Amino acid sequence: MAGLELKNIAKSYGAVSVIENINLSVADGEFVALVGPSGCGKSTILRMVAGLEDITDGEIVIGERIVNDLTPRERNIAMVFQSYALYPHMTVYKNMAFNLELSGKSKAEIDQRVHQAARMLELEPLLERKPSQLSGGQRQRVAMGRAVVRDPAVFLFDEPLSNLDAKLRVQMRGEIKALHKKVGVTSIYVTHDQVEAMTLSDRVVVLNHGVIQQEGSPMELYRRPANLFVAGFIGSPAMNFFDAVIEGGEARTAEGLRFPFTASDGAQDGRKVVVGIRPEHFQAGGTGHSGAVTFVEPTGGQTFVTLDLGGHPTMVLVSGEEDIDTGATLSVSAPLGRTYVFDAQTGRRISQN
Amino acid sequence: MSQTSSVAASPPSMRAPSVARRNRKRQVRGTLPVLVLFLPPALLLFTVFVILPMGEAAWYSFYNWNGYGLPTQWIGTKNYELIFNNAAFRQALINNGLIIIVSILVQIPLALWLATMVTHKIKGAVLFRLLFFLPYVLADVAAGMIWRFVYDGQFGLVAGIFNTLGMEAPFWLADKQAAMPALLGVIVWKYFGFHMMLFVAGLQSIDKSVLEAADIDGATGWQKFFRVTLPLLGSTVRLSVFFGVVGSLQLFDMIMPLTGGGPSNATQTMVTFLYSFGVMRMQVGFGSAVGVVLFIICVTLAFGYKRIFMKND
Repeated sequence: MAGLELKNIAKSYGAVSVIENINLSVADGEFVALVGPSGCGKSTILRMVAGLEDITDGEIVIGERIVNDLTPRERNIAMVFQSYALYPHMTVYKNMAFNLELSGKSKAEIDQRVHQAARMLELEPLLERKPSQLSGGQRQRVAMGRAVVRDPAVFLFDEPLSNLDAKLRVQMRGEIKALHKKVGVTSIYVTHDQVEAMTLSDRVVVLNHGVIQQEGSPMELYRRPANLFVAGFIGSPAMNFFDAVIEGGEARTAEGLRFPFTASDGAQDGRKVVVGIRPEHFQAGGTGHSGAVTFVEPTGGQTFVTLDLGGHPTMVLVSGEEDIDTGATLSVSAPLGRTYVFDAQTGRRISQN
Repeated sequence: MSQTSSVAASPPSMRAPSVARRNRKRQVRGTLPVLVLFLPPALLLFTVFVILPMGEAAWYSFYNWNGYGLPTQWIGTKNYELIFNNAAFRQALINNGLIIIVSILVQIPLALWLATMVTHKIKGAVLFRLLFFLPYVLADVAAGMIWRFVYDGQFGLVAGIFNTLGMEAPFWLADKQAAMPALLGVIVWKYFGFHMMLFVAGLQSIDKSVLEAADIDGATGWQKFFRVTLPLLGSTVRLSVFFGVVGSLQLFDMIMPLTGGGPSNATQTMVTFLYSFGVMRMQVGFGSAVGVVLFIICVTLAFGYKRIFMKND
């Protein structure tokens, strides 16, 4: 086991730069998720760590070693692919034993380690099957088994749950977390699903356009998003945004909605800002804002209600116990401590929370 | 009353057959008109153009017949005895075997090696793919003609090379020992591009992430090729060998302009033998017997191969 450090990593294809100055250090045994929209460069970073992709600039350090010029086989990393990437012509046992065989381990040791990993992942009854005879979830487990069996320095996960259905995804999420607890290997997990990132990892790194937007614990990102992008990306359903201008210490929209907030700096009058309030932070009732209900989406315990606040469709989360019909009028207020304000130009948060 | 109760009480397994029978009846009624409408034309064409000619050839093979008038002189299995006692036919069989062996041992490995090269993302790979495929596009007869000139001991490319080296140019196509190797060279040149294209398609269908997984598992280039790529190409290799075998048994049009089966039958294949000894010499009965033997060999090889090697493909 070992930690991992990325120092000023950059990647460009010709004149097109896809990754710029990524600095990230992952402690030994830590589980870090890289999250961002498609094309933000998260998979490229993972592939660069794996050695499947060259880096244009910077240094990758695994343990104490700079691994820039090492081949994937010399880096001692294990990777779980989105498409599982199992060898279709080999049985589950052979799939898991392949790396050990190549590294010249004895038959007895291979057998012992494969069976140990298979026991851990409940794969023992499947050892003699070919990948084509397995379900998606089982294949994913074999892919993880193949990674576990070799006792790597770093685990890399490249959107491992994207090909599974919703229910299985939740189950496998739990299994990955349990696996990490058991083996405690440094892990990097790439996903575009922020729920996955938040539930699994110790630390989340949000990327956009090849640049790290913010890194921190899941709740830190949720509670104190550094900028507009992180605020919009973390949290489901997404944060509501209102274009506004600061007037007399509070943000006002063109339609006349007023949002008081606690400023941290530069809340001078006339500054263009974007106000952000999460659907779950609106409180029903109160004297804040009222609007007509245009859309109701019940999910059981909670109901997503879309309100028309001064011509602005706004999502509000209310308890599933309340019966709300389309066309009704709903009053909501935004608590001071939960109102986020961002600079319209730079996107940086200027409210205190 | 008692009747209804008995029906209601009868277990589902007893009721099922009648339902199944009704379903089957409905199915037959649905498929019968389709069978009546569509089967006869196909059956008729197949019978008239495939079954009948084959049967006819088999029938002629028992006659001594030159093709004029009706076959009247029944000679039993004499034609077949003649075939197997004919040294040229035995040579043709050996040559066909040789072509199959060279195709498996030289042509297919060469094609596979080149395919792995031209599927890499390097500049000019597509151009090379096209260049390698070019001989296959050429008509067999044209290729035969070209190589006849290349091998010509007076004016050809080979003669030119030997002359510049200050040596006397050989006449390979006229040499009993050299003609067959020269011909094999042309065959490899002509068809490797086709096999290469099969392998290119096969290689492209391999999931790239599987090869990356092998990289991460620590496989070297050779290990990756022999333990991942090649097993995954299994069906393509088997198909390629199948085409090689069938192609060898059909080889004719390239040989005719090159050597015509000569010198002294050294480059005969089964089809050129059939043509030279059956058609050219007006021995239609004998030729038919050769055709029957060729047919049996082809069918046995093709079906045997498919049964044994391609059963899972």
